[in-house]
Amino acid sequence: MGIWIGHFLARAGALKGWIEGLLALPLVLPPTVLGYYLLVSLGRVSLFGLPLVFSFTGILIASLIVNLPFAIQPIQRAFEAIQPEIVEAAQVSGLSRWQTFNLIELPLAWRGIVSAAVLTFAHTLGEFGVVLMVGGAIPGETKTVSIAIFDKVQNFDISGAGTLSLLLLGISLASIAFSYGVFGATRNKNSNRAT
Amino acid sequence: MLKINIAQDHPMPLQVSLECMPGELHALVGPSGSGKTSVLRTIAGLRNPNIGRIEYNDQIWFAGGNIKGVEVILPPSQRPCGFLFQQYALFPHLTAIENVSIPLQNSGYTAAKRKSIAFNWLKRMGIADLASRIPSQLSGGQQQRVALARAMSREPKILLLDEPFSAVDTPTRQSLYKTLADLRKDLNIPILLVTHDLREASLLADRITVIDQGISLQTASPKTLFQKPRNSRVAQLVGINNMFEGVFTAGNLTWNGCEQAFNVIDKGKIPPGTPVAWVIPPDGLSLHSEQTPASIEANVEQVSALGQIALIQLRIKGGENKISWEASAAEVRRLSLEAGKSTYIKLDEDKIHIMPLRPINDPRRLLD
Repeated sequence: MGIWIGHFLARAGALKGWIEGLLALPLVLPPTVLGYYLLVSLGRVSLFGLPLVFSFTGILIASLIVNLPFAIQPIQRAFEAIQPEIVEAAQVSGLSRWQTFNLIELPLAWRGIVSAAVLTFAHTLGEFGVVLMVGGAIPGETKTVSIAIFDKVQNFDISGAGTLSLLLLGISLASIAFSYGVFGATRNKNSNRAT
Repeated sequence: MLKINIAQDHPMPLQVSLECMPGELHALVGPSGSGKTSVLRTIAGLRNPNIGRIEYNDQIWFAGGNIKGVEVILPPSQRPCGFLFQQYALFPHLTAIENVSIPLQNSGYTAAKRKSIAFNWLKRMGIADLASRIPSQLSGGQQQRVALARAMSREPKILLLDEPFSAVDTPTRQSLYKTLADLRKDLNIPILLVTHDLREASLLADRITVIDQGISLQTASPKTLFQKPRNSRVAQLVGINNMFEGVFTAGNLTWNGCEQAFNVIDKGKIPPGTPVAWVIPPDGLSLHSEQTPASIEANVEQVSALGQIALIQLRIKGGENKISWEASAAEVRRLSLEAGKSTYIKLDEDKIHIMPLRPINDPRRLLD
């Protein structure tokens, strides 16, 4: 979904600002506000007869909405970085829109896509407020690591909270290092271009 | 044959009509921002005009607006054009051979056959040994050859070249001229070349269309364009130095600011008493050290030596009109041309070309 929306926004003309703003809302809204709206709206919806709130599917949908900006923005920037002439060259070479996307744009934007996937993964893992409100911290179903840390601190299990915090810290650091590594490689490659 | 008749008023005015025959190299020349690249992009389908018609033989690529009320817009991928971009626009993640293979993607050939065709094109461009390099490992000239091979690999019906020689150094440009000349010999397709370099256009093209502010002003052979520009703007754009104003009445041209008048033949297109611009080509001028019948006295204002040639600036006596003249160093010596001295100019009346002062094209004629 991030690839599709990121590609669309990179090529969008009118209304681009509004759509970008709407999709970036989760970045600026307090998690409780977002969680409240999702709780209210998902509370009235069911999937295959099962309620969405307080279920794994529910927190999956909530996480998708909350983390969409983290996925879209690096992907959008990666597609925007492709010179329009390159896409035009593909068109005048007889490639269809799908072939242009698949053979030219996607391989050129892959670093942005990988980076987006890693960042989104790390951020989703640490999601707290929205997941708590929509999922309700049901053990074995909707209780995430970050909620578990909160519960352990509440129960004075400081060493358990410390272990889980270290786990999240390690994963986040590895993810960001990987993401920076991918972009660092791109920068070096570009600066070494032949003249 | 490629036939174009297009017009638009937004985002920039455009009114262009031209035809390009198979085997013809047709140059579009004009100053920066004149709309020549827009014409090329319109032919390729990368943008569409408000109205007009673009057709190749019997195939309509674009027909829109109020001409016959037919709407046809062929997408760029379905127009059999080879397009060479000014900045090459090679696919940066693909090797040279993969770049050249891309246009064969929908050819129905096997991957091996596509690769073999692409390799043959690289060989023809003299860069077969660079087949496995990616664009960032190639020089500007090498990239342009890969781009040319890519434009040619699916055997286009027309070739569109957008300032292909502007980003390369002089030796590479000379070598690319030769490659293009060799290609022309083997192909019998219309080739359209966009350039702002008139010398390059005169060197390569069979015909030139001069474009200014989105309007095609004149289409002619390079020789005709220099000798008989259609109007003063064309003369200005093709760099004719000796252009003057006068009034034309029944075979008689009076020169504004001078007493001289000339007998000039016109095809009857210019009404009597019309203010005109007129030009005289370099071979219609001669300088003499002594007065001869019908010669005009002039003062030498400046002699600028430029190697083996010298640029002479003359002012007609009793007026403000200036004439510039290119002479060899030997001729300067023979005529003892020095600043401040007098000399005599003779103009060959048969070579005087008169034209309307202002362009007669109205950019919105087609849009009404």
